Amino acid sequence: MSVTRRDFLIGSAALAAGTAVTAPFLLPKYHSDQRSKRSRVAILHVQQYSQELDQLLAAGLRLFPINVRGKTVVLKPNLVDYIPGNAINTHPLLVLAAAESFRRLGAKSVLVAEGPGHQRDTQLVLSQSGYQQSLRDEKIRFVDLNRDELIRTSLRAGYTGMKDLWLPRTVLEADFLVSMPKIKAHHWSGVTLSMKNMFGVVPGGRYGWPKNILHWKGIQESILDLCATVPIRFVIADGIVAMEGNGPLNGIPRPLGKIVLADDPVAADAICAQLMGFHPGRIIHIREGSRFLGNASTALIDQVGEIVGPPTKPFEVVPEFRHLYAL
Amino acid sequence: MTTDAIALSNVLAELALRQLPCGGWAALASSSQPAIEPTCYAALALRSAPVGDIERAQDFLLRTQNPNGSWPVVPRDDQEGGWVTSLAVIALRDLVPAIPARLQGLHWLLNCSGKESNWFWKWKFRTADRHVRFDPNKYGWPWFPDTVSWVVPTSFAILALNQIPCSCGGLERIPLRVDCGIQMLFDRACPGGGWNAGNGVVYECPMAPHVDDTAIALLALSDRGQHPVTQSAMQYLERVAPTLTAPWSLAWSILALAAHRRRIGSLHDSLSALSDLSSTEDTGTLALACLALDYSRALSAFGVTV
Repeated sequence: MSVTRRDFLIGSAALAAGTAVTAPFLLPKYHSDQRSKRSRVAILHVQQYSQELDQLLAAGLRLFPINVRGKTVVLKPNLVDYIPGNAINTHPLLVLAAAESFRRLGAKSVLVAEGPGHQRDTQLVLSQSGYQQSLRDEKIRFVDLNRDELIRTSLRAGYTGMKDLWLPRTVLEADFLVSMPKIKAHHWSGVTLSMKNMFGVVPGGRYGWPKNILHWKGIQESILDLCATVPIRFVIADGIVAMEGNGPLNGIPRPLGKIVLADDPVAADAICAQLMGFHPGRIIHIREGSRFLGNASTALIDQVGEIVGPPTKPFEVVPEFRHLYAL
Repeated sequence: MTTDAIALSNVLAELALRQLPCGGWAALASSSQPAIEPTCYAALALRSAPVGDIERAQDFLLRTQNPNGSWPVVPRDDQEGGWVTSLAVIALRDLVPAIPARLQGLHWLLNCSGKESNWFWKWKFRTADRHVRFDPNKYGWPWFPDTVSWVVPTSFAILALNQIPCSCGGLERIPLRVDCGIQMLFDRACPGGGWNAGNGVVYECPMAPHVDDTAIALLALSDRGQHPVTQSAMQYLERVAPTLTAPWSLAWSILALAAHRRRIGSLHDSLSALSDLSSTEDTGTLALACLALDYSRALSAFGVTV
């Protein structure tokens, strides 16, 4: 078969057009591969919130080669709103224990930073949830990320299609950002763990309460763009009392008796999802995050401490997320 | 001087100290980045105070207006504008040279609405996306363009638009638009009374109200005091406000209850007795405390007649 010059030109044009149409779907949407070769996760068995968390957490952190000497450590808890009796927020005793541990590890400064997603009165949430007095007693500075100085920041992934976001200076300038989520089922995203916890860094003062822009741009997509742009260095997930059902606010407290530590947010969330009885690969931001943010495969995760097993009863979720069940 | 007067004078002095050389205020005491929201509250608080440079504050607001008539959240922000436009329009009230800027701002507000006002999203929220219970026919204002309506930006927009004494010169749509916003507020109330950001019922679960959202909505509804939703919100606020120690929520509660002619004496005392008020890191809160401690002037600045 002979190919004429005309056939060649038409074929080339068709190929170019096809590439132009399909390239956005085939090309990676992230700027760089941030994965480490292997990740480490530790599950600590802790039945209740108590002053002993200090020692337990310090022992857990010794399982990791953490170097925070001379660094600014920012602890980012999940502090959304306060409803009496609901297990909404990362417990303040765990945050205090983390601050104490990082101070002992030689951090230059440790501060707690959050931009509550529902409640505009940050001081009210701090006071009702028990944070205000605890932080004051321990002389730990709190930064309200909803009102912190803003810096226009180019996103390092393109899942939402947004080019940039205004993000708080405190988080961007942190040397070591620790995501401290509450392990919860979530009615819009299935789960809220260390990666979804980063919604709290998006400033309400700029984007409103709740951070509606992220919902419009896609929750899973926004999680990926944010985690690519603001790297989480460590995870301390509060699953001592978690939440199932209609989270993040109105679910049912679920005593899980676990703290999950990890040097990789994707690995942390994959293990947390398993603890909840879910298949991590069915959670979009974990599956997609495992392409460039961290490791979700158990073959690439070194588990230390307690070995994860499925719960006797998986976490309840709203009907739209029943496909997450591993069983 | 009474305790209240001393408290007010201390807080005003601190507020004046925090004014930046550009004329604006930053959101936090530790910051030097001016922001429109705290600047508007501060400008309202210092309107008739013997301290601070109100003219410099007003100049700052005029300088930062976007070409499309809106205001950005912080200077050099995207020029699409945001919810603070309503606050800037309110803060520039009574300033004659600001009339053209205010008119531009009002036109921008009139042309801005929650995304659910569009037929496609209306259809989506009626058919496919029904987990949040609300009527998309009743829409207000978003935090910023291309998102749905929420309680706080809608309430501030109503307050701003209500300040125009006549509906002429292209502003004829104001009464209809304000009424639509008011209907949206009634629609989005929490079943137990009051408002949160704007989701009253999600997944058939009634959501809890927030004090500040409720108070700001009540300010905007100061002429709808007899409506059952307003009454129910008032009961919620009167029940919760005496337990508050957070100055932001306490200040908004005082303004809202005063707007509806409710007793606020003990709340006023609680606010002025807060020992660390002047050291509040949040400058918006500090300015609001000033406004609440001098609530009759503040209500007049918000255009609320008592």
